[in-house]
Amino acid sequence: MDRQFKRRLEARFGPRLTGPVRQRHDQTEIRIAAADVADTLRTLHDDPEFRFEVLADLCGVDTGTHMQVVYHLWSDTTSDWLRVIADGLSRDDPRVPSATFLWPGAEWMEREGYDMFGITFEGNRDLRRIYMPPDYTSFPLRKDFFLPDDAARSPGGGVRHMEQTHTPRNATSPELVRRTRA
Amino acid sequence: MTVLARTWHRLTIPGRLILGLLILGGLLTALLAVLVIFSDDILTILGNNLPIVRFVVAATVVLLITVPTAFLIIYMEMKVIALMNLRVGPDRVGPFGSLLSVVHGLKVLMKEDFTPTGADAPVFTWAPVVVYLASVMTLLVIPFAPGLFGQDMNIALLYFFAMGGLTVVGLLMAGWSSFNKYSLLGGLRSAAQVISYEIPLTLSVVGLLLLAGTMSLNQMVLNQAGWFTDWYVFRQPLGALIFLIAATAEANRTPFDLTEADSEIVAGFATEYSGMRFGFFFFAEYVNVFVISALTVTLFFGGWNAPFPFPAIHLALDPAQLGIALLILIAIVPVLGTLIFAAPFWIATTMASWQALVLGFIVFNLVAVAAVLGWAFVSIEWVAGLLWFMLKTYVFVFLFVWMRGTLPRVRIDQLMGFAWKWLLPASLLNLFVTAAAIVVVDALGGR
Amino acid sequence: MTTTAQRPSADDPRVLLDQQLGVFEPVPPYPPRTEREAEFYSLGDGEMFINMGPQHPSTHGVLRVVLKLNGEEVVDLDPVLGYLHRGVEKLCENADYHQVISQVDPLEYVSSLFCEWSPVMAFEKLLDVEVPRRAEYIRVLAAELNRIASHSLFMGWMALDLGGLTPILWSFIERDEIVEMLASLTGQRMLFNYFRIGGVNGDLNHEFMSRLGDWMTRATEQIEANLALLNENEIFVRRMRGLGVLDRETALRMCVTGPNLRATGVPFDIRRAHPYSIYPELDFDIPTRSEGDCLARYLLRMDEIRQSLRIIDQCLNRMPDGPVMAKLPRLLRPRPGRAYAGIEGPRGQYATYAISDGTDQPFRMRIHDPSFIHLQCVGLLTPGNLVADTMAIMASLDPIMGGVDK
Repeated sequence: MDRQFKRRLEARFGPRLTGPVRQRHDQTEIRIAAADVADTLRTLHDDPEFRFEVLADLCGVDTGTHMQVVYHLWSDTTSDWLRVIADGLSRDDPRVPSATFLWPGAEWMEREGYDMFGITFEGNRDLRRIYMPPDYTSFPLRKDFFLPDDAARSPGGGVRHMEQTHTPRNATSPELVRRTRA
Repeated sequence: MTVLARTWHRLTIPGRLILGLLILGGLLTALLAVLVIFSDDILTILGNNLPIVRFVVAATVVLLITVPTAFLIIYMEMKVIALMNLRVGPDRVGPFGSLLSVVHGLKVLMKEDFTPTGADAPVFTWAPVVVYLASVMTLLVIPFAPGLFGQDMNIALLYFFAMGGLTVVGLLMAGWSSFNKYSLLGGLRSAAQVISYEIPLTLSVVGLLLLAGTMSLNQMVLNQAGWFTDWYVFRQPLGALIFLIAATAEANRTPFDLTEADSEIVAGFATEYSGMRFGFFFFAEYVNVFVISALTVTLFFGGWNAPFPFPAIHLALDPAQLGIALLILIAIVPVLGTLIFAAPFWIATTMASWQALVLGFIVFNLVAVAAVLGWAFVSIEWVAGLLWFMLKTYVFVFLFVWMRGTLPRVRIDQLMGFAWKWLLPASLLNLFVTAAAIVVVDALGGR
Repeated sequence: MTTTAQRPSADDPRVLLDQQLGVFEPVPPYPPRTEREAEFYSLGDGEMFINMGPQHPSTHGVLRVVLKLNGEEVVDLDPVLGYLHRGVEKLCENADYHQVISQVDPLEYVSSLFCEWSPVMAFEKLLDVEVPRRAEYIRVLAAELNRIASHSLFMGWMALDLGGLTPILWSFIERDEIVEMLASLTGQRMLFNYFRIGGVNGDLNHEFMSRLGDWMTRATEQIEANLALLNENEIFVRRMRGLGVLDRETALRMCVTGPNLRATGVPFDIRRAHPYSIYPELDFDIPTRSEGDCLARYLLRMDEIRQSLRIIDQCLNRMPDGPVMAKLPRLLRPRPGRAYAGIEGPRGQYATYAISDGTDQPFRMRIHDPSFIHLQCVGLLTPGNLVADTMAIMASLDPIMGGVDK
C-alpha cells in the first residue's frame, strides 16, 4: 500500500475523481467519469511523475444498476497496481472513449467488452464481436442474461425443446437482477 | 443380362467364389491350350522380335517391382523415423509391423474415390497417373546388375532427367485442377522448386559425363569396376554432393518438402485426393526416393560393383551328371540335415523330440537357402551385382529417411535462393574445374 | 464392401448454391461492420483470401485465420476467435469460490497451475487470508515445474510448425516426466485442481520427492541435449532469425507481457516488478534478449527453463515445515470488495480481477489471459512475410487457444 501514491493521485486528479481513492493490499483504485477516461489515461501514461506504460487489463463490469469499465495499470514509480474505474455508464447505452489511441493492444480487450456487455468503445476501429458469432443478439456477461433461457434468443435457439423461448420465472422484476455496490 | 444378375444374386458367397474360380480356371485352361497348340509359331515370332520381347518383359518387371519397393521404403520410413523419435513405430501388423504398408495399400484401395465439385475432372484424374509414370519410367534405364536393366540407351542419363522433369507437369495438374487454394499453393511451390533444382542437378553430372565419356548408365557402372577407389565419388566429390542435395529437392523430400508441408498447407497439391489417387502420389514419392538413391549409387558409388574385386570362384556344379545319385541325394539330404540340426536342440535342452525336429527342419532350411544363395552369389553373375546394388541403394534410402526424421523444412525463398545463388555456381565451378583438369591431364599425359 | 457415394442430383439446392457462389471465399455474407473489417475484406490487385480454418494441423488449437495473400506473401491477417469459448467467466459467477478453481483449470491447459494460482491469489486478497509459508514454497515449486513443462511443449511445437518431426516427441518425453511427477503430487496429469484458497490441497509425498530428486539429477543434461537438437540446426535458426521482429515500443503499446516482451529488451517480469508469494526470497535472474525476433523468443524461453531449475533447487533446499493450508471456513463469504492478482505465467501476465458482493459466489470473475493479447500481434508481425512464416510467428508467440477463447 503506497500512501504517497494516494496523495499524488489526489493531488493530480482531485476534481476528476468521482469517489475516494481506495487502497487495499497492493492495489490503489480511483473512480472517474466515462468522459474523462481519455484524458486520465493519457496523463497517467505520458506524465513523467506517473509513467503508467503497462496496461495490464481492460474489462467491463455490470454492477446490476450501471456498468463500469475497469483499467489496471502498472508503473515502476509505485509498488501498487492502479485500478481506474470508469463508473456510472448507463446499462442501456454504455459508451466510453477507447484506449486504443494509447495502447493498440487494447483493441481486442475492448472487443471483448463490447461482445460480452454491449459497451461501445468510441474510437475503436474494429468494434465487432470476438467470441460470439457475428449475428448473435445478446450480450452474455450482462446480469440480465440468464444462462439457459437467454440462449434461446440466439440464432441457434428454439431448435431444441430445451431452448424454447420463455420468460424466465424469476427474471421479470428488476430487484431480482443481481446487484452490488462494488 | 437380368438373367445373369438374378442368377448371381441367388448364389451365396462361397458359391460366388467357386463360380468365379471355375470361370477363371476355364479361361486359363483355354489360354494354356492355345499356347500349347500354337507354341511353335509363338516361339518363332518371339524369337524374331527378341528386343521387343525383352523390352516388354523388362517393363513389366519394372512396374511390378515398384509396388513392393514402395511398400518396403514406406515401412522403413515409418519404423526408422519412429526409432529416431524414441517411439516404437508399427509393431502390430506382421512381425515388427512389417506388413503395415501392405495393409495401408489395401486400405487406400478401399477408400471412397471422388472428384470434388468444381474440379477439372479429366486433369484431376490424370495427374496422379502422370506423376506415377514419371517416377516409374525412370527405372527403365537403371542398371540393377550386369545384364539386368530395362534398356541400355546411349542417352540414358538424358532420358532420366527428361522423365524426372515430367513430375512437375503432374504436380501442376494436381494443384491446378483441385479447385482449392491450398492445392494451388502447393502445386506452384512444387513447380518452382523442381524447375529451380533441375539445373544444378543436370549440371552437377556434366562433369561426370566429361570423365565417363558416355551418357549410358550401364557403361558408367562398367567404368567403375575394380576397387572402391575407382568409384566416381572420389573424382567428383563436389558433383556428388550437389547431386545429392538437388536430388532431394527434386524428390520433394525433407528438408525441401514444402509442397506437402503438412503443417502449413495441409497436404499441398494432394489435399483433395483420397483413396487410390492419393495412393498413386504416395507411391510415386517413394519410388522417386528409390530412384534417386539408385541413380546416386549408379553414378557415383559404383552401381552394382563390389567395393573390391572378388577373386572369381568357379563352382562347376552340374547336378544332371549325378544321375540316379541325385534322386538318392534329394531323398536323404533333407532328412539327414533335419536330424543333424535337431540333435543339439534335443540333447542340450529339455525340448520334446518333435519340437526339436521342427526346429531342426527350420534351421536346415535356412542353412540350405543360405548355401544356395551363396552358390548363386558366387557363380551367377547378376546375383552378386544385384545384392551389392540393393545394399548401396538402401544405404542412401536410409540417408533420405534419416534426413526426414531430423531436419526441419526450409522456406520457399530460402530454397530458391539456395538453388540459384549457391548450387548453380557450385555446379558450374565443378564443371569448369573438371574440364580444366581433364585438359591439363591430357596435356601432361600427351607430352 | 464399400459403396461409391452418389453425386448430389443436379437440382439439389446445395449444388446450386455452390455454383451460384462460384468461388469459395471466406468473406462474411453480411456487409462489413467496422472500418477494419471493410479494409480487410476488400481485395487489391492480385490478392486472394485463404482460410486457415479451425481445423488445421498447425494452429495452436481451434483458431481460424483468414489470410490475404499476394501469391505467397501475406498482405493482411484476420484471426477469428471463439471456437473454444466456454463462457468461463459467466460460469464462475454461478459457482462457489472453491468451485472456481476447477472451472478455471482448462483455460491454459498446458500450464494449469498458473491458471489456478491467479484467482486463488485474488480470493485470498478478498478474504485477507495469509497463506502458510510451506504452502507458498510448494506452490512455487509446482508452478515452476509446470513452467518447464510448458516451455518444453513450446519447444517441440515450434519445431513441429517448422517441419521437424523429432523434437516434439523428445520434448514430450521431458514433459511426460514432469507431468507424472505432478500427478503423483496432485493426482492429475494435466488439469491439476491443486491450489486451494489458503494453500494447496496436499503436502509433498514420498513418491513425488523421489521422482523429483531423480529427475533433478539428470534434468540439466537432458534439457541441454534437447536444446542442442535445435539450437545448432542451421535450417531452424535461419528460418527463425530476423522473423517477426517486435520492437520495445510496439510491444509495450500492444500490452505484450512475459517472454515475448522480455525478448524485445524490456526486463519486465512480474515476479520481480510486482513480487508476490515468496519470489522476493529466491535468487534467480530475468533473462532478457534485445533482438525481438522468433529466435530470441525461443532462446529466451529456453533460458527461462534454466532459471526455473534454479528456483526449484532453492525451493527444495529451503522448504520450511508447517501446515499447507490456512484455516478457513467451508463456506466462504468475503466482505464486498475488489481484488486484482497478476502473476507471471509461462506466456505472460496471467491476471484475475475478482469482485465480491458478500455472497458465497463471486460477483464478477474477470480473467486476463496473455495469449489473447499476443494473438493480436500476429496480425501486426505477419504482413510482408510468407505463408510458411505465419506458422512460425504464431508458434513463437506461444498462444494457447483455451486461454485465448476462455
